[in-house]
Amino acid sequence: MKILIADDEALSRRLLERTLARAGYQVIAVENGKQALEQLGKPEGPRLALLDWVMPELDGPGVCRAVRTRSEQTYVYMVLLTSKGSKEETVLGLESGADDYLTKPFNAEELRARLRVGERILLLEDRLVEARENMRFRATHDQLTSLLNRGAVMDLLTRELHRSHREKKSTAILLGDVDHFKHVNDTLGHVVGDEVLVEIANRLLASVRSYDFVGRYGGEEFLVVLNNCDPAFAPIRAEEIRKAISSHAIQTAKGPVTLSMSLGLLLSSEWKVKPVEELLHEVDIALYEAKTAGRDCLRMAKPSTPVELAPADLSQPVRLRH
Amino acid sequence: MNKEEQGVSEQVWNLAELQDRVDNDQELLRELLNIFKEDFPRTLQSLESAVSGEDLKNATRLSHTLKGMLGSLGATRAAAAAAKLEALSSAGEIASLEGAFHALEIEAQSLLPELEAYMAEVRH
Repeated sequence: MKILIADDEALSRRLLERTLARAGYQVIAVENGKQALEQLGKPEGPRLALLDWVMPELDGPGVCRAVRTRSEQTYVYMVLLTSKGSKEETVLGLESGADDYLTKPFNAEELRARLRVGERILLLEDRLVEARENMRFRATHDQLTSLLNRGAVMDLLTRELHRSHREKKSTAILLGDVDHFKHVNDTLGHVVGDEVLVEIANRLLASVRSYDFVGRYGGEEFLVVLNNCDPAFAPIRAEEIRKAISSHAIQTAKGPVTLSMSLGLLLSSEWKVKPVEELLHEVDIALYEAKTAGRDCLRMAKPSTPVELAPADLSQPVRLRH
Repeated sequence: MNKEEQGVSEQVWNLAELQDRVDNDQELLRELLNIFKEDFPRTLQSLESAVSGEDLKNATRLSHTLKGMLGSLGATRAAAAAAKLEALSSAGEIASLEGAFHALEIEAQSLLPELEAYMAEVRH
């Protein structure tokens, strides 16, 4: 584990350095508070710090205060080294943000024990951060497919629609529903049904760019958001996505299963600003049209009165495949 | 070293405490003594100028540095003398500075030969 030592006095610094290196730490030794702050600000910088109270440039409490005012950084456990013994100064040191303090000259055994306390705190912090990240992931992702869940993809879509409106760009919304999925569940069982959904999720993810969004909208319904997508290319990309599902069979525990997907497509540039729910309702209608048209095809949602200069050839529903 | 000498050295220089602190690492101990030999006279000299020039800020800073250096080395008595000088300078007791500095010098004079003797002893 990395540890920072900041002490302007060479003899004490060297003594600390060797003591801690012997205790198994990877030691970074600096001579003043400014250098200390610089080291602690590095991305993979030390998370344990021993800071002398009195230092040129910036003193120990000053380093503590500066570190504590930085927000989204990982916790740094800081121990102040002081020859000052008074209660007032101890309180001042701790209130500057230090976690602990040690009086100089230090006792090696006590020093090591106190640093182990610091390591314990850091370990707890790591676990807490990990748990929080897991919870955040679970709150925004679908458990089965690991795609964004409905709430998360709707939030992102809302944000994206605002942005594309502001930047006068177009967002393409694709709503896809696996054709005859119920049949898979009924004949092959839910385990295979789950396998199929996971594979479809993977294929959808593989067919979009890293900045597009794919979410599980409902049971076998998926929402794909193509950000900043040229309206002329959107139907082509939607077709690619459709083919990615039907072009080859999905391997399951009970053998290959060939499936297809019906899709509804909406280009935000062709619509007036509407709440996301209303736009999704329109895509849903287009998806329903694709289903009644025989499935495994794409239908576009078009406003009854096209906005401004919607290209004439795209103002009517297009069938891109029979 | 006989018992009598041991008694004296514990007052001026607590070698046992330092041995403990360096975990009986003789190489480190020698290294620390070398740092001391280099840094101490220089810092003491600057401190002397600060004291005679009634420069309280630097007198406080330098006596603090010496206090830390001497303390780490286990030179308890000299460290105490440096601590006293630091306290007086930070309190602005100009009239007492010369006397306190002199006391520190006396402690240093009894410390340095002990360090030299030790270094000569371990060198071979």
